[in-house]
Parts: sequence; C-alpha cells; structure tokens
Amino acid sequence: MAKPKNLIQASTVFERVVHWVLGGSCLFLFLTGFGLMFHSLSFISQVFPPIPLFSDLYPGGYSTMKLFHNLCGLLFAISFLFALMAWGKDTLYFDEDDKKWFRVLGGYLWEVKEIPEAGKFNAGQKAFFMVLFLFWFIMAATGIFMWFPVFPPFLTRWLYVGHALGVLVLGSFLVIHFYLGTYGNPGTFQVMGHGYVTKGWVKKHRPKWLRDVEAGRRSI
Amino acid sequence: MEEKVMLIDVSKCTACRACQVACKQWNRLPAEKTQQQGSHQNPPDLTPFTWNLVRFTEIPTRDGGIRWLFRKDNCMHCEDPACQRACPVPGCIFKTAEGAVVINQDLCIGCKYCVNVCPFGIPRYDDKTTKVYKCTLCWDRISWGQIPACAKTCGPGAVTFGPKDKMIAQAYARAKVLGGDAMVYGDQYVKGTHVVYVLPEKVRMYDKLAINPSVPISVYLWKDVLKPLSVLAIGATLVGTFFHYIIKGPKRPEEGGNEHG
Repeated sequence: MAKPKNLIQASTVFERVVHWVLGGSCLFLFLTGFGLMFHSLSFISQVFPPIPLFSDLYPGGYSTMKLFHNLCGLLFAISFLFALMAWGKDTLYFDEDDKKWFRVLGGYLWEVKEIPEAGKFNAGQKAFFMVLFLFWFIMAATGIFMWFPVFPPFLTRWLYVGHALGVLVLGSFLVIHFYLGTYGNPGTFQVMGHGYVTKGWVKKHRPKWLRDVEAGRRSI
Repeated sequence: MEEKVMLIDVSKCTACRACQVACKQWNRLPAEKTQQQGSHQNPPDLTPFTWNLVRFTEIPTRDGGIRWLFRKDNCMHCEDPACQRACPVPGCIFKTAEGAVVINQDLCIGCKYCVNVCPFGIPRYDDKTTKVYKCTLCWDRISWGQIPACAKTCGPGAVTFGPKDKMIAQAYARAKVLGGDAMVYGDQYVKGTHVVYVLPEKVRMYDKLAINPSVPISVYLWKDVLKPLSVLAIGATLVGTFFHYIIKGPKRPEEGGNEHG
C-alpha cells in the first residue's frame, strides 16, 4: 500500500501477516476446542464434513473437527515462532518506564496525570506477550502429547488439566486483547489492519518509538 | 430395568478361561496373535479385541511352593464412570439402566481421553480403526433379560449376574464364609461398580488391580473446576471490558484521532 498522507507506518507486512495467522489459528482453535469441551456446543461439530478418501477414519462431525483442531494447533505452534521473531526483541524485557507504567497501570483504570512514555510496546503489551509466550508453550506441549499420548495415563491426565488452564487464561486475554485493540484504544486497530496510523495516535501510544523513528534509530 | 451387578467370586475360579472364549464369541471379536510370557495368562494383557482376561498371579509361599491366584479382569462398569466424564462426544460413552457403561464406536473419535482417565486401566485403543474398545457388560444381552456371555458359560459358578442388592448381599455373605483376608471389592468405589469381586486375598496380591480406585482428581480439576471457571473468566472479562468502556471510556489521542480507523 502506498504511504497515505499524514499517516505513519506502525507495523510491517511481516508483523501483520504473522499476527493474523497466529490470531486466526487461535480463534479456530478456540471454536473447535469449545466444541470438544462443551457437549452443549455440539452444533459446532456439525459443520465439519467427511474427509475425501479418508471418510472411514474421518466421517465428518467430531472426528473431522478433532483432526482440524490438531492440525491447526501445529499451525498455531509454528506461527508463534515467527511472532517471537517479529516482537520478541521489543517485548521480552522491562525498562524503568515500564516499572512506572505498572504503578499506574498505564492510566487504564484510574485518572493519572502523567502516563509513563512507551516505546513500540507499553509495559502491559510486553506483559501480555510474555504470558502468551508461556501459554503458547503450555498449550503446544500439552496438546501434542494429548494428540500422541506417549506418557503413562497418570501423567497424561494432567496434560488435560494444563490444556484447560490455558483455555481459561488465553480466553480471558483474548477478550481483553480484542477490546484494547479496537474500542478501548480508538485508532489502534489499523496497526494490525492496513498498518498506518495518525501522528496523534503515535504521540499518545508510542512517544519513545516516534522519537527513535524520527531520529533514524529504528525503522519500524 | 433394575440395576444389575456381575459378581466375580475369584475363590471359585478354576482359570478355565471359558469366559474369555464366550466373550470373543458373543461379541464376534477376532482371534489375535499372542506371545508366550512364561505364564498361562493369554493374551498377556487386555487388547482392543480381548475385553475379558483371566490374570494369573504367582505368589511364593513360605514352604517353597507357589500360590496361584486367578482374576477375571474386565470393565468394572462404574456408577460414576471417569471415562464418560472425560469423553468429548455427547452420547459416545453411555450408561444403561442396568448400569453397563458402553462405548459407541460409531461416535468414538479416538481421542483416548477415556483410556487415560480410567481408574482401572481398562479401555484399549486400536490403531487400525482409530477407536477405543472395552467390555460392554453384554448390554445387548442384559437389556433383553439375558445374562452376560461370560456369566452364562462359567462352569464353577465364579461369575454370576443378578439384581444389584441381591448380588452385593451374596458377596458379603461369601466373604464372611471365606474369612481371613477375604473382602468384597467394588461397591465401595466410584459410587459403586456394577462388577463386584469377592477376593480371598488382600487387593495388592492381585496383579493390575487398583488399590482404592477413584475418579482421578485431575478429571475433577479439568471438568468440574477449570471448565466452568473458563466460562466464568471469559464472561467476566467481556462484562469487565464493557463496563470499562462505559465508565472509564476509551483512550483517545489528543489530536487527529479517528474513532476506529
């Protein structure tokens, strides 16, 4: 996309593609995972058709849904490695401003005179990514051994518990992530949309990053 | 239909294994290649197509001899089946009015949750069909007033089948007659099993017999704690973000901010 007038590029194409592969697979995993977790949501399984040529093993419904859940889990697991490449260096540390940010929780919950300045990501976003990192590992590790249970039953049972804990944490985070990325922070969605934001948005959300970009210390 | 119980009095078992044959015959289960493991136990373990197995345990005695214990092993048909709690497919594992716990292979997706949560280690997964199999308590016989194939064929009367209360009373009467370490095993676990043993020896003397079996605590944590809690947590964050929007309001840029673009 050609650079629009008066707008600033806030993300690379790589970041946006990685985000939506990760986010899309995550949403699909939630949908199919909820279908497997809640008998009352069995209608979700009904949209899954038989797999051609393998219809004796995957006759549609739950069998196909489970297969797609497992395969999509692989996609989610792998796409997070690219997410680490995209955001790891900007998220996996805290600086002095981040500590101050936590003290006022970024001004999200009560009125704060001065919100500590953030770089490309504020302390909350960094913490979000760290929790995602941890639970990516938990979901991938428990998931693969639920799919291929090589451990004795008394251990495998606890993988189910770990996987369910991941649903609780990631599900809650997903809701908050969706809110803060859209209605909670107007103008933010386009960072992961077409990638361009207003200067006002950048001054509000990424003042340190803006100074770095304007001084040529970093590109995006 | 009233609740039924299969009573296995191992003190009467002669290890003829007619029950194994009858099970295969009624359920049309194929013969399988087996392995000699230095024991009369054959095949060595339960398989997707051996739902009933007489286990042989050899116990050395003080005078240098051997005591031979036989135990017919099959699904215990729990009143509170962990397998059914864990199964993701509605109706795939079901309980009949008599108390039989049955897997419907037409619905089974081979997730193996039941295999891993069973406190008695009974269900077996088959790689070829990608489904799980186990004893059905011959639900296709008992729902018509017949008794299970293994009970029908048992010569010495070690396997009997009948109304729950009557069979459990018989079990305790028999344990009393046997005396010593003899005990009844089953009715006190997982809200009562529909297969009950009379054991002349302590539980730990029998190979692969669970000591104090129960629905694993991990299954409760998974299905009764984390599952409802995840709905609660996701719902709470939804409500929370909504109230954040209407009370605290969004964070708008001071200049040139557009609403959602």
